Amino acid sequence: MIQRAVLTALSLALAVPAVRAQSAPSALQSSNLLNPNVSVIGWFQGEAGGRSRGAGGAEPAAFALREAELGLQSVVDPYAKADFFIAVGGDGGVELEEGYLNWFALPYGLALKTGKFRADFGKFNRTHPPETAFADRPLVHERFLGEEGLSGMGGALSWQVPVPWLFVSVDAQALTSPEAAEVPAFDQARKRDLLYVGRVATYYDLSESVNAGLGASGAWGNAGQDIDPVSGSSATLVSRLGGLDLTLRWKDPRRAVYRSAFWQTEMLWGRRGAPGGSAVGAKGLFTHVEYQFAQRWRAGARYDYTELPADGSVRETGGLAYLTFMPSEFSLISLQGRRARRQDGSRESLAWLKMTFNIGPHGAHPF
Amino acid sequence: MSSMKILVALLASALIPARAFAALRVVTTTEDLAALARAVGGDLVVVEPIARGYQDPHFVEAKPSYLLKLRRADLFVQVGLELEAGWAPSLLTNARNPRIHPGAPGFLDASEGCDILEKRAGPVDRSLGDVHPLGNPHYWLDPANGLRIARRIAARLSELDGAHAADYAANLKRFETDLAAREKVWDEEAKALRGLRIVTYHNSWPNLAKRFGLEVVDYVELRPGIPASPAHVAALIAHIKKDQLPLILMEPYFDPKLPRKIAGETGIRVVIAPPSVGAEPALKTYFDLFDRILELLTANLPGARP
Repeated sequence: MIQRAVLTALSLALAVPAVRAQSAPSALQSSNLLNPNVSVIGWFQGEAGGRSRGAGGAEPAAFALREAELGLQSVVDPYAKADFFIAVGGDGGVELEEGYLNWFALPYGLALKTGKFRADFGKFNRTHPPETAFADRPLVHERFLGEEGLSGMGGALSWQVPVPWLFVSVDAQALTSPEAAEVPAFDQARKRDLLYVGRVATYYDLSESVNAGLGASGAWGNAGQDIDPVSGSSATLVSRLGGLDLTLRWKDPRRAVYRSAFWQTEMLWGRRGAPGGSAVGAKGLFTHVEYQFAQRWRAGARYDYTELPADGSVRETGGLAYLTFMPSEFSLISLQGRRARRQDGSRESLAWLKMTFNIGPHGAHPF
Repeated sequence: MSSMKILVALLASALIPARAFAALRVVTTTEDLAALARAVGGDLVVVEPIARGYQDPHFVEAKPSYLLKLRRADLFVQVGLELEAGWAPSLLTNARNPRIHPGAPGFLDASEGCDILEKRAGPVDRSLGDVHPLGNPHYWLDPANGLRIARRIAARLSELDGAHAADYAANLKRFETDLAAREKVWDEEAKALRGLRIVTYHNSWPNLAKRFGLEVVDYVELRPGIPASPAHVAALIAHIKKDQLPLILMEPYFDPKLPRKIAGETGIRVVIAPPSVGAEPALKTYFDLFDRILELLTANLPGARP
């Protein structure tokens, strides 16, 4: 309902200047200048191979529009910037992927964000699905944080620690609690439940060409309710997640257009309350390495290990390899293959052809 | 002093920004702008560039370490015309420094008031490559634009630091005099270049060509940012042979393999010239940049010894 209201408001806001422009040509230029930056990312994907029944979820068609993401971004006033990303899925479903206001002009190194946004849990979770290097999601993210990742409505306070020689950021966020169908690691017990996320991250230039980023994240929320069938009394179950992420990058600035390397590892630990006062511990990780060996070519590989958040004794493993060609900065074609051993012991082999393109103003280079 | 007091003092010195004790802090996106800011700011400013002169300014990464410079800056100077579109806006948003946001006195877009070439009046799309609809952003390669940038930086420094306005004016005057003297030398050197028809790797030299009388007639890239196709290379080789084009001018951050292959087939000379201050260790000032470019071009003229 909220999403529909936001979309209606957005379409009205965009339609009004266009209607005015027809009757007042002089207003056309002004409205164009003040319109937000509009961009669209298209994500088409082909899939081959058989999905394991143990993987869960429906088997996608051989070719599918995974997502078309409409981005609307603009400075609101001297104090804030707004970013909206509306995702249209292959089934025609429309979702506000992110829509938030970022007050970036606060004193004392602070910034405040309100709206719907992807949680600052690890680094990978912040990246929109079409913009990740993968056709899928790492198994640990799929099993703990769901197909779309951890996001919600709420507020976020971010602080850059004022140390002049080291970048350190501290983030605290409160979000509406997701349901288990979206994010398996958590489950709202009541509509008003909140999920709390915290992150401390640091970054350091080891040399002009090599840099490292290290982050520690935590998330704390509810995991449904434990209802006693005899007495009828209920208790809220709690779920906690901890994460560590390490990113190493290499890029010689003298040859930045042609060569680069990237290695990222994320580890995640979960402890989820279970009926009867017990708790389930589970963990997982992925490690991803990518090498750019020519101006338009990249090759990469990823290893996955995960346990299920509801049952730490059940595990899945997998490995992904890919080769990506980028005709320009604004499009890519990627051939990917993944082998996985699923929770029921079955082996799964899948191949994908991922194609994405970006139209609109030159966006920020991902970092 | 107790150990606790020493610890507190150490912590305080680490946490208090050095700005409290120093001159105006200027952060520029490129080393060319940094050189111009140093020329007019003198000892009254501390200038730090983000992109180095040997780096393609289109493809700078928005590293968090740059935020450490930006959050303490009093003045931010950018080339503009979307040269830094992939990294400067996100750095400014995350710098947590309202003094240097667009519209604030500490934000300066150096392109305003400069002679900007190739402004697109008609429809623009990416079939043209990674074009800059607002104009070619390599405009600092014309000394007249360098002077315009220096004047604007001096004026802005005077606004931010009125107590030293006379010093900035004196520094600017000295820069103007020195530049006028250097331009006479460059004009003399460039006489041999007038009318020369050349190929460049990327479309980044139009201001230099216009100023010194060169004519850029073809490019190694198919379109800006799009590598050459075999058909384009064949057409370029045919063009070079037909018109006996004498040289390919390119930046050091591009791969010289293809230009050298073309040179092998046509006899054209490949000149790898610095597009920015700092592209070679000896290039410290804005004047050094033009000295070196003209030295390389004249040394590779037809008939000159390679």
